[in-house]
Amino acid sequence: MAHLTLSKVSKHFGDFTAVRDFNLEVERGEFVSFLGPSGCGKTTTLRMIAGFELPSEGYVSIDGVDITNKAPSQRNVGMVFQSYALFPNMTVAQNIGFGLRIRKEPEEAVKKRVDEMLSLIHLEKKGGSYPYQLSGGQQQRVALARALAIRPQVLLLDEPLSALDAKIRVSLRAEIRAIQRELKITAIYVTHDQEEALSISDRIVVMNMGEIDQVGTPFEVYNFPKTAFVANFVGTLNTADAEVEDPQKGLLRMDGVRLVSADENLKDKKKGDKVKFSVRPERFSFASEHKKDNILDCAIENITFLGAVVRIQVKIGNTNFNMDTFNNPFLELPKIGDKSQVTCSKEAVLVLED
Amino acid sequence: MNLASRLRRFPFWSYLWFALGVLYFVTPLFATLEFSLSMQRDTLSFKAYERAFSDPKFAQTFGYSVFLAVMTILFSVVLIVPTAYWIRLRLPEARRIVEFITLLPFVIPAIILVFGLIRVYSSPLNVPFTQITLIEPLTNFKFGTNVLIIGGYMVLGLPYMYRSVDTGMRTVDVRTLTEAAQSLGANWYVIIVRVILPNIRAALLSGALLTFAIVVGEVVLASFLGVQAFGPYLFLLGQHRAYEPAALSFTTFLLTWAAMGIIQLVTGGQGQVSGAH
Repeated sequence: MAHLTLSKVSKHFGDFTAVRDFNLEVERGEFVSFLGPSGCGKTTTLRMIAGFELPSEGYVSIDGVDITNKAPSQRNVGMVFQSYALFPNMTVAQNIGFGLRIRKEPEEAVKKRVDEMLSLIHLEKKGGSYPYQLSGGQQQRVALARALAIRPQVLLLDEPLSALDAKIRVSLRAEIRAIQRELKITAIYVTHDQEEALSISDRIVVMNMGEIDQVGTPFEVYNFPKTAFVANFVGTLNTADAEVEDPQKGLLRMDGVRLVSADENLKDKKKGDKVKFSVRPERFSFASEHKKDNILDCAIENITFLGAVVRIQVKIGNTNFNMDTFNNPFLELPKIGDKSQVTCSKEAVLVLED
Repeated sequence: MNLASRLRRFPFWSYLWFALGVLYFVTPLFATLEFSLSMQRDTLSFKAYERAFSDPKFAQTFGYSVFLAVMTILFSVVLIVPTAYWIRLRLPEARRIVEFITLLPFVIPAIILVFGLIRVYSSPLNVPFTQITLIEPLTNFKFGTNVLIIGGYMVLGLPYMYRSVDTGMRTVDVRTLTEAAQSLGANWYVIIVRVILPNIRAALLSGALLTFAIVVGEVVLASFLGVQAFGPYLFLLGQHRAYEPAALSFTTFLLTWAAMGIIQLVTGGQGQVSGAH
């Protein structure tokens, strides 16, 4: 039995549907991210798990117990907010012990648990500090410790790193993941940052306009996006329109250029069908390096230096594609306007669902 | 740096307006103090203060007004804090209406309020369609009059108390703090008493002190409801004596400053608890 289940959950605000027919089963100890743009319903779904919103349809259960209509205070679900939401009038230790004191746990047990949590977040010496005396990253760690102190069945994190600067975001997300693994706690993480979701999750739920577009491991979501939306939202992607030339052989034609694809979806198509296909920028390389299934004539349109990666915009037929190549100071890059050839394997050409 | 450039850098106009402001506020205060100390001819003394404080009616009326003020503040907090909290949390669309209502005491004079109170509450409350009296007219007995005057003072203090509390709640993220407390298992009572109230304490104190000042000096409601409060006493004293009212006025100024000092002490000079976000 799944640890957390959302079954046919929908949420309507008047005529507006924020979440539609959301089905998900999360295993105990799993780290699942809800990924999507603003307004896609990911936070609303999280808030329905927390109990701050009631589903219009469907139910939420933990360990088989229906919690759909339970008050947030009765759910034993820990929550970490984007704005930290630490109680400004309480010290770090008081904040962490708040939930335990509400549960009327003995004072000694509270102190022991608070010390454990302070040690878990490496803020042993900050127990007596007030939130305003801490940095943003430290405050969010305290918020995490406060949510974990009550030993919740599920930990919910609502864009917890959005208010922090880039470096702290990266180190804190690793810390959150390490703590989650150590405590083996089921976690639901809401983010609009695809890199964050890819780096931290066991599974990613990609949401678009209130619906689930794809559920999969970071590897699956990135390498085998099911829809054009997922393909575009997760990572950088080249998409283009083509016509099916031979579905059995996997042949496509784009602006008079022939491509070969190994995508099984193509076998369901008929000759002459219009399809949208995608190729990740890193799947292209210059034909002179390793020749692959597709060798395509192109013109160099633009070159952007991104540090470790150099992004080269090439024009194939009438369509522009991005190609990423590792920065190598000993490799001579082409010049803008040069004619060249790029190559990619047939597995790199994915046909997208509508 | 030469003298000319130093003079050019001196913010002359700022200092001038500041000095004029200080003169405007300090001169009447100084005049009141000087007058209150001039009861004995050709010498400065605290004679007026001694006479004012030695009058048993002073302690009696002042004590009673303080009691009314404390009760008004307590009931206002009980009424206004949950109201402002609920409006912020669940009924933001009602905010404009409530703000309008809280401004009414500025528009409707206290005399209208007191006549309204007397008109409504000077008749007994009967069981409908019978002559069976449930409650005697509130104006007829001491407890009833106290209830009426505290109710009236709550209305007079409403603009100050509501706005202070509402401003205090604006500075802390009430909604997220509430949700954080709920997710940790807190019920509404715990949330208001242990999370919301401590975080708006400076705002609450400001509203409470303004209400205190209004109630202690209030004349109209107290006079027409016939209670022996400090406001009417001061008014009567002013009609018969010269120096004592000045002494008492200056004392109330001192009390106000003390109150402001308390705000500074309680809030650590920050006006509001930091780190709300």
